[in-house]
Amino acid sequence: MAVLQAILDGLMIGGVYAVISIGLTLVFGVMGIVNFAQAEFLMLGMFVAYYAWAWLGLDPLLAAPLAFGVVFLLGAAIQRVLIRRVLKAPEVAQIFLTVGMLIVLENAALLMFGSGFKSVSTPYQTSSLQLGPLFISVPYLAAFAMSVASGLALFLFMRASWFGRAMRATAQDPMAAKLMGIDSDRMHMLAFALGVGLTAFGGAVILPYLTVSPTVGAQFVVLMFTVVVLGGLGSVAGAVVGGLAVGIIQSLSALAFPIQLQNLVLFLVFIAVLALRPKGLLGGAR
Amino acid sequence: MNRSTLLRGLGLAVLLAVAVATPFLLDPRGYAIRVVCLALLFAAMAQCWNIVAGLANQVSLGHAAFFGIGAYTSTLLLIHFGLSPWLGMLVGAVLGGIAAFLISLPTMRLKGHYFALATLAFGEVMRVIANSWSGLTGGPVGISVPFAPPSFAMMQFKETRPYYWLMLAALVVVTLVFVAIRRSKLGYRLRAIKENADAAEVIGVDTTRTKITAAVISGMLTACLGTLYAQFQFFFDPDTVFGVASISVRMAMIAIVGGIGTAAGPILGAFFVIPLEEFANDLFSSRAAGLSQLVFGVLLIGVILIEPRGFMALGSRIRRLFGKGGRP
Amino acid sequence: MKPSDRAPRSLNRRQVLVAGAAGAIAAPYLIRDAVAQGKAVNVGVIMPLSGANAQFGINSRNGVELVADEINAAGGIKALGGARINLVVADSTSNPTTAANVAQRLLTQNDVVAIIGAFASSLTIAISEVTERRGVPLFTMSFSDQITSRGFENIFQVVAKASVLGKAQFDGTVAIAATAGQKLEKVAIMYEDTAYGTSQAGGLRAGAKAAGVEVVMDDAYPLGITDVTPLINKLRSSGAQAVFPVSYLNDSLQIIRSMRQQKVTIPAIGGAAGYVIPDFEKGLGEYAEGVLSISPANYDLDPALTDRFRKRYGYFMVHEALEHAVCMDVLAQAMEKAKSTAPEALRKVLHGTRFEGGWTKAMTGGAVQFDKTGLNTLSVPVMVQWRNKELVTVWPSEYAKGKAVWTN
Repeated sequence: MAVLQAILDGLMIGGVYAVISIGLTLVFGVMGIVNFAQAEFLMLGMFVAYYAWAWLGLDPLLAAPLAFGVVFLLGAAIQRVLIRRVLKAPEVAQIFLTVGMLIVLENAALLMFGSGFKSVSTPYQTSSLQLGPLFISVPYLAAFAMSVASGLALFLFMRASWFGRAMRATAQDPMAAKLMGIDSDRMHMLAFALGVGLTAFGGAVILPYLTVSPTVGAQFVVLMFTVVVLGGLGSVAGAVVGGLAVGIIQSLSALAFPIQLQNLVLFLVFIAVLALRPKGLLGGAR
Repeated sequence: MNRSTLLRGLGLAVLLAVAVATPFLLDPRGYAIRVVCLALLFAAMAQCWNIVAGLANQVSLGHAAFFGIGAYTSTLLLIHFGLSPWLGMLVGAVLGGIAAFLISLPTMRLKGHYFALATLAFGEVMRVIANSWSGLTGGPVGISVPFAPPSFAMMQFKETRPYYWLMLAALVVVTLVFVAIRRSKLGYRLRAIKENADAAEVIGVDTTRTKITAAVISGMLTACLGTLYAQFQFFFDPDTVFGVASISVRMAMIAIVGGIGTAAGPILGAFFVIPLEEFANDLFSSRAAGLSQLVFGVLLIGVILIEPRGFMALGSRIRRLFGKGGRP
Repeated sequence: MKPSDRAPRSLNRRQVLVAGAAGAIAAPYLIRDAVAQGKAVNVGVIMPLSGANAQFGINSRNGVELVADEINAAGGIKALGGARINLVVADSTSNPTTAANVAQRLLTQNDVVAIIGAFASSLTIAISEVTERRGVPLFTMSFSDQITSRGFENIFQVVAKASVLGKAQFDGTVAIAATAGQKLEKVAIMYEDTAYGTSQAGGLRAGAKAAGVEVVMDDAYPLGITDVTPLINKLRSSGAQAVFPVSYLNDSLQIIRSMRQQKVTIPAIGGAAGYVIPDFEKGLGEYAEGVLSISPANYDLDPALTDRFRKRYGYFMVHEALEHAVCMDVLAQAMEKAKSTAPEALRKVLHGTRFEGGWTKAMTGGAVQFDKTGLNTLSVPVMVQWRNKELVTVWPSEYAKGKAVWTN
């Protein structure tokens, strides 16, 4: 029964991991950039949701689209001003541009929002559904449901809309896409904005069970990398598999090992997967 | 050709002489000398990183693992067995080399971002181990280097000057190793891997062995610097010496800002980044929380946008601009 | 008269020396200090103003600032001819290396007579390695046991150590439960794996062992945990009658909420930090009511003093602010008594005096007295309970302002 409960918890938390990591993998897939600052957009999404709750009385789940919108615009601007200029630069310059962004965003948040840990209070925060001996936390379930919804929306967008198809084309073969008349610059902007927007959306939906502070990104950054690398950098489906895998590994490992070693187990699995399948679980399938 | 080599050698000799004499100009227990010490240490660390990242383009984000191993090994041997940190440093170097070998096995096939992230995870593994294995390391509360009467044998000094020379010597040694490797067959092979690993394999380069050799050398040297850090700082905890931001990323950042793959790059980078951090902290930290870090981040972004390949590339660009030709 | 004349002069001379040496780096300071010269005593305040502990660092700075401003408004340090206190505030970030650098900077470029800081134990210890070598006093409320166990002569810890705090957290709980007619036999401990968490958990364990109470769960978890469900699953099946979580705010809110979700209703007795700040109540609302926690000090022991903080900053005087305020006051008292800012004179006074009056009244013991190691021997931890958005001291009885409510 403990195992079943652990799998259930891991699944729900994994769904959230998937959504916040999709953005990271999307950005890499379309323009080949690993954004070390991705988790900072999670933090920004959480702050947008927090202030929507504090000032407008909006539930974080309802504020999630707002968080998406605000961060989407910010992302478009950042792509325009910063990222665009290093697309052809060496890999290391790309990595460290985003590291610089991480430092700037975290400290700008500290200056604007203060250092305190902020938390919303919602009526469902402390409730749970009981299925026999199993507990399903309502905030987890809500976050999971919202994650699934946004994942599906992204899937439809990528499949059915012209923008989505154009973006995929850019990712697969930039030259061919260009010949087809797709403006790759615009596609990059869209991909980056969409990517950070989705992460911000994920930030908003987890706010009911977490707290937000300028440093909250640090708690997620390595986790997000683990998710996308497990699934294969650049693969959206991979991020979903990776997210669920990470959630379940974390949850199950807590049964066998001290919780202190939770991340140790995760990282060892991570390194092992890379050693055996250097392009991730679904790598090459993209 | 002969004359320019001579001139260059002379220039380096003068530079070194100035570097050796510098502490006599600084307050021996002051702040400036401390910052310079750290800049020297971080220059040496970035140079170690440069061996694998600069020559073979294997961008490691886990070098803190070796640094922490060095710091903990010598300090624990000193605490439990009274072993001189000089010997502890050697033991640490061996362990650092072993760790580098072990992490090379699963990661040597990885490229680019995958390699960076796998090494990042390895650094985190070491941090979690140091944090959890309190019986050995003292855990999250950290450990202090026990006080000993100042002596060269125990690598403890009353004033900062001897530390300065120690750090300077370390930087010189690591830089010489870097230059020697670059000029050797190993360096040639590493460059071949950097250009095209598959092609290197075809022309008969044992890429596995080459990468592991470079990684082990880099890991051993980094571990030695961990010991120096411990003796200089007297106290550290797992988050400090195994830190992603405080060590791994910073080592890489310094080399990149200065110019990756060049011998002078890490030194330029360290003498830019470390004083800049201090200066930003000094000027802004009492005004508004976070402002100093913000300024630092903005400057980092600025440097990368202006010249993604670091100061060294910027330098040659300027030289070209003035028509002096410069080396290609 | 004489000593007060001497201090500024030696200050100037040394500064000239540093200026010649440090050149550009020092320049901005000389300008700033020249303005503040005249009659001022520089006191270093090093806190984590950015990074994960920033909130606590800022609270602490506020406490020190309040007292310094009050002293200046009342005419400065009288024994030094009314010298004003000039705080030199610096950010240690969350990195011990930076903390030590900053300490060195304040000592050599700002000629601070003492340093107050730096909330987190690892930062404080790193700073102490610098201050000890220069023989300058360092005042702290960090409660790691390591701080005063290294034989340092220039460190002054105004609160009880973490192991004492942990034991009091346990003993107080047992006492409160016993008053309510419950005998605790099985308890659970969970703590974040930081210096603070691990050393306080050690105290809890020692308390349980001494009382013959079984610890049925004893788990560390990583700092910044984002999913506490596995912990609470484990707690639910452990059969514990009470749980001692030692954590900062993020994890404490998660723990209390998850316990509610899983209908784990045993009392949670917090280990200070995240449990005794206004945000805890803001985050949990009605669920905060009645939560117990240990605390190294509490503002209701002397509301007349601590209300000044509330008036100025708009929230109650959290314990780290209070204790750092006491650090500042003790330093001022020591300068008055020593009639000097020379480190040797200060150290002598600090080791041999019972400091009374002023802000020391707000501490348990009503005074501050340091032993040979620099530990304030008069400070004992108190148990506090959330009542209607305020923290009420409920144990031990001599300090209690209200009766503890125990719900099991």
